[in-house]
Amino acid sequence: MMISVTAQTALMSQEHQLVQEEKFYCKNIGHSPSLLYSSRVNDGICDCCDGSDEYDGKVKCPNTCNDAIAIESLKRNVEVYQEGVTLRKQEIEQAKRAIARDRAELSMLKREREVVGKLVSQLDELVQKLEQEHEEEENKMSEARNEKVKNKKSGPEENADRQIEPMKTSDVEKKRQSGESPSDQNEKDEDKNSEGLSREELGQLVVSRWTGKKTGEQVKEIDQTKNDQENDGQVDGYKESVADNTSRQSWLNKIQETAQSFLNMFSTTIANLDATQIRKEYNDYTSKLSDINSRISSLTEKFKHDFGKENEFYLFYDRCFESEQDKYVYKVRPFKDATQKGDNSETLLGKWDEFGNSHRYMLFTDGDECWNGPDRSLKVKLRCGLKTELTGMDEPSRCEYAALMYTPVLCLDEKLEEFKQKLESIDQVQEQQWNHDEL
Amino acid sequence: MKMKRIAFLFLLFLASQTVLSWKKDEFRTCDQTPFCKRARFRKPGSCTQIATDVSISDGDLTAKLVPKAHHDHDQDPIKPLTLSVSVYQDGILRLKIDEDPSLDPPKKRFQVPDVIVPEFESKKLWLQSVTTEKHDGDIAGLSSVVYLSDGYETVLRHDPFEVYVREKAGKRRVVSLNSNGLFDFEQLRVKKEDEDWEERFRGHTDTRPYGPQSISFDVSFYESDFVYGIPEHASSFALKPSRGPGVEDSEPYRLFNLDVFEYLHDSPFGVYGSIPFMVSHGKSGKSSGFFWLNAAEMQIDVLAKDWDAEDGILMPIDQSRIDTFWMTEAGIVDTFFFVGPEPKDVVKQYISVTGLPAMPQLFSTAYHQCRWNYRDEEDVENVDSKFDEHDIPYDVLWLDIEHTDGKRYFTWDKLLFPHPEEMQRKLAAKGRHMVTIVDPHIKRDDSFHLHKDASERGYYVKDASGKDFDGWCWSGSSSYPDVLNPEVRSWWAEKFSYTNYIGSTPSLYIWNDMNEPSVFNGPEVTMPRDILHLGGVEHRELHNAYGYYFHMATADGLVKRGDGKDRPFVLSRAFFAGSQRYGAVWTGDNSADWGHLRVSVPMILSLGLTGMSFSGADIGGFFGNPEPELLVRWYQLGAYYPFFRGHAHHDTKRREPWVFGERNTVLMRDAIRIRYTLLPYFYTLFREANVSGVPVVRPLWMEFPSDEAAFSNDAAFMVGNSLLVQGIYETRAKHASVYLPGKESWYDLRTGNAYKGGKTHKLEVSEESIPAFQRAGTIVPRKDRFRRSSTQMMHDPFTLVIALNSSQEAEGELYLDDGKSFDFKQGAYIHRRFVFSSGHLTSSNAASSPLGNSRFYSDCIIERIILLGYTPGAKTALIEPGNKKAEIELGPLRFGGHVGAAVTIRKPGVRVAEDWKIRIL
Repeated sequence: MMISVTAQTALMSQEHQLVQEEKFYCKNIGHSPSLLYSSRVNDGICDCCDGSDEYDGKVKCPNTCNDAIAIESLKRNVEVYQEGVTLRKQEIEQAKRAIARDRAELSMLKREREVVGKLVSQLDELVQKLEQEHEEEENKMSEARNEKVKNKKSGPEENADRQIEPMKTSDVEKKRQSGESPSDQNEKDEDKNSEGLSREELGQLVVSRWTGKKTGEQVKEIDQTKNDQENDGQVDGYKESVADNTSRQSWLNKIQETAQSFLNMFSTTIANLDATQIRKEYNDYTSKLSDINSRISSLTEKFKHDFGKENEFYLFYDRCFESEQDKYVYKVRPFKDATQKGDNSETLLGKWDEFGNSHRYMLFTDGDECWNGPDRSLKVKLRCGLKTELTGMDEPSRCEYAALMYTPVLCLDEKLEEFKQKLESIDQVQEQQWNHDEL
Repeated sequence: MKMKRIAFLFLLFLASQTVLSWKKDEFRTCDQTPFCKRARFRKPGSCTQIATDVSISDGDLTAKLVPKAHHDHDQDPIKPLTLSVSVYQDGILRLKIDEDPSLDPPKKRFQVPDVIVPEFESKKLWLQSVTTEKHDGDIAGLSSVVYLSDGYETVLRHDPFEVYVREKAGKRRVVSLNSNGLFDFEQLRVKKEDEDWEERFRGHTDTRPYGPQSISFDVSFYESDFVYGIPEHASSFALKPSRGPGVEDSEPYRLFNLDVFEYLHDSPFGVYGSIPFMVSHGKSGKSSGFFWLNAAEMQIDVLAKDWDAEDGILMPIDQSRIDTFWMTEAGIVDTFFFVGPEPKDVVKQYISVTGLPAMPQLFSTAYHQCRWNYRDEEDVENVDSKFDEHDIPYDVLWLDIEHTDGKRYFTWDKLLFPHPEEMQRKLAAKGRHMVTIVDPHIKRDDSFHLHKDASERGYYVKDASGKDFDGWCWSGSSSYPDVLNPEVRSWWAEKFSYTNYIGSTPSLYIWNDMNEPSVFNGPEVTMPRDILHLGGVEHRELHNAYGYYFHMATADGLVKRGDGKDRPFVLSRAFFAGSQRYGAVWTGDNSADWGHLRVSVPMILSLGLTGMSFSGADIGGFFGNPEPELLVRWYQLGAYYPFFRGHAHHDTKRREPWVFGERNTVLMRDAIRIRYTLLPYFYTLFREANVSGVPVVRPLWMEFPSDEAAFSNDAAFMVGNSLLVQGIYETRAKHASVYLPGKESWYDLRTGNAYKGGKTHKLEVSEESIPAFQRAGTIVPRKDRFRRSSTQMMHDPFTLVIALNSSQEAEGELYLDDGKSFDFKQGAYIHRRFVFSSGHLTSSNAASSPLGNSRFYSDCIIERIILLGYTPGAKTALIEPGNKKAEIELGPLRFGGHVGAAVTIRKPGVRVAEDWKIRIL
């Protein structure tokens, strides 16, 4: 049947009348009904599962609404979702616990900061005192040394003169090594150089115009990839040293004891103190304090993120998802960044931006610059699945990447209900048909 | 693309930097091309050749060309040349000049084989007699005159030699050769010891073992105001003078097939194809033409008025004329003069030499979606389903080079396209087709069967030392099949069989790119001129035809694949005279800017005029990212190109019609649907081209030969004889000035409003459409139901749009067949003529007497007849036979996204296949 949303109700825009599309309604009993473009009606292709769109008799469309395959896939969906929903709940529970733990840690850290901070400032005072004494002694000695230096004045100047020449050479070398050259020269250089190229190089040069790939990418790769990229993962080494909150509690008590003992030291005289020991303690506690501070700021940062309505993405924070495809390893670190790693190189596909479409995808933007194109970006679409895994990395448009990630987090109750209902309605229809057959 | 953070060798780093503009320095100018430079130095009247021994022999007029006097005794004696004039039906003169084979020249000069169709020879008229006359006002001059056709004769003046065509009555000249005495023919000779024949250009050396062998001469077109043709150039349709007073940066039009990176849109520079055929037209309303069958590099000057003011020879002729100067590096003089006199006659005469355009499959006249590259099967499926989701019709999805396994053509990337057959079957289930790319460079990889086979058989072109030529292209180190050799062509054709081309299915067709040929490390990005082909033919002699032979071999392969039952579809980038027989061409790698949108029209007009009816430009521009407005305007214009394909470079953003928001999606969908609505009309026009050569898209003056205002108009064009279309070529246009030729009115396709002819109208324009009109006195068949692809439209009913002229009359035609097989050649088609006159519309058979027993029947009916320019009043129409009645009322004039209103005969229900008459009561 045709739903009439046609010429009679057509909108008038200015003096132009716009065509409003007619749509065809498929009842699809036993399946979900659908609306079809009129271009699909009697076109020789079966679109509605009940076959009602091909009524002119040119083709015969079987009714596939109760198709075993469709039912099977519906059943599979229900199964997956049923398990997925449970996993999702577990995930949310775990997330809740993790949040509680992180919050507890944060408040603990803040207390530590107070205590350790105090301790550090006291140690600082002690160190200052030691310094002062030391300096006084030094001053006496250096006066005596200065007398001797005056007699040797001409030496350093000679040295400076000799150094001018070698410095120039090394500058040039540096430039050559880095492959730098004034960029406005490049155009001329290409033309000049193309005559001196080997036939293979010339061929590649022309290829490069089209592809934007640097010539010799396949042939002559020299790896100068910044290896330091590898190491920028965990900065807060503090994390490992503090295993759990119970042991930390006793650790804190110990510090407080230590602090007390230092406090007692102030009553004794400077001369009696072990200077080396004090400096060591001072250095240790200063670095502990900075660890504490960095951990506090990283936790504070973490809490700023949007983890979803039920914080269901909380556990994604410290995870790294990998997927291997066509010579590349893709790494996606939610809330952080995403990279593409080849044999000799690593490319930043994007830094964390946000969730989109009510937490149905993750967006990473502002990645490495793209030759003749946009900065790289990645959109990770999220789907319901029983395991959290990254699949299907793709580059649909140049330097705009897309990936698919399955995770129980996306297995929503509502969706499960929807599938269940569909399956039920099919079952009912089948029962009815069965009854008809019996009669 | 997966770019890596990598540092490179110094040199390579530099080499990769500049990639954004046309590399002018990489291509030779005339001054850097010795034969061109030499020829351009010649002064008018410097030719001293005279015709002797004039006689009739084997039905031809023959003569010897000898120099009048030997001035310089140190020079080699100049041997006589042979000249022959042959005459063919319908006003065609063929003039050949070559070295005399009996005088033992060092090498046989190359004559381009397999371009002239075999039928042409059967049209030869055997000359019986020659008359001799004294040249008017010439003291010494004797001329030999022979018959050419009714009303025309050929004249060979003896001293100095000149050949021309003139009207019998009134003796007015039409076309002539060597009237300015610029003829020069460098004969092959033995190298002297002190001579250096090598030529160098940008590090490449051309050994030129046979030395100078160029030919040049002048051709004059009489009573003409403009000359056109000689594609392919990105320049105006009416050819601007390239030399003479008022011409700056004088550079001839170059015909040399080249893969030009980011070509400019106003340049006489040669691009991908070459057709050395020129057409003239003037105020008299008459046209004439000249074709030189020669595949070597050619340079052609269009000479400005008074170019010869200083040292010209006084021509004793009072007729106005345009002089042109033709130069080529090698080959022979094998030229054709076409007398016209109508523009369409000239085209038909040229076509009778080089062959009729192929009849395309219906699907290939619909919309094509291409991109470098649709990445993998999932991408293909996605794009395909998006068209359906947005209810945008399309017929063909294309795969560029990345679909192959390492640029080995005929293979598939196993990771990206693991199931090519299933992928094609899925498209085919919706009536859609796929096209894959197959280029001529074959990867030199011993594990690649194609390479192994070709090298073992010795099928590659050879370098000067006799080894297989090894050039660089997409596939890296590559070799090129010698497609001049018919045996190689037939070997190549076999590669398209379903067993050889694994993963191909009957719904797969082919795209030939890079067939200029493109050689990335060759001189001017092509093959060195001293490369050797079959029989020791040098590449310089056939360069411009390489792509033609390759296209031919591929198209033949598709015919063989389908047991001769399925029409081939092969798109080629390079072309030569005759390519129209093998398929479509496009204007290559254009750019996403308004200038390229604009120049696409003169480029397509030039191609159509020279036989290449099936052509188009990449919608959106290949390089760069088009603004949505430009893209929309391009779809609106491209919907009227004979070949309608969206394409994009690798580095550009996705630009499928749905990616720019709802509004732009609607606009692009409307534009594409216009094409689908007009498919019956287009298909009828393709058939017209297939039987006459008259192109689908035509210049205004082809339909209005006497309308001077139309002569240099290349902003607008005619689609067939009925529609006039003009693009919008600038951003945010509010108005457009459109010249409507002729005396009759024109009807806006969308509103049905009438506009007077013979006038420039300043029209308001909106984003919804570009100016498009139906000419009064015509009938256009349409199909107004939208479908997924043309395949599903097969049984849909027709609409006829009748645009009445001032005498309330109109006529039009409709051609239909099965859309894919060759059965139409046996008469399996329907060809109707519709005539509206004295208030009734008649449908009659327009098919020429059937050739065979095959029949095509269609049960399609006509569901609507729209009358433009008809005064409303009548309420009913009577249909005969049957005496049924149909209502007449004001109905919608659906077109694109617009519904105007027009007098409509509703549901007449008559069958297109039958005779009938409808009377308005």
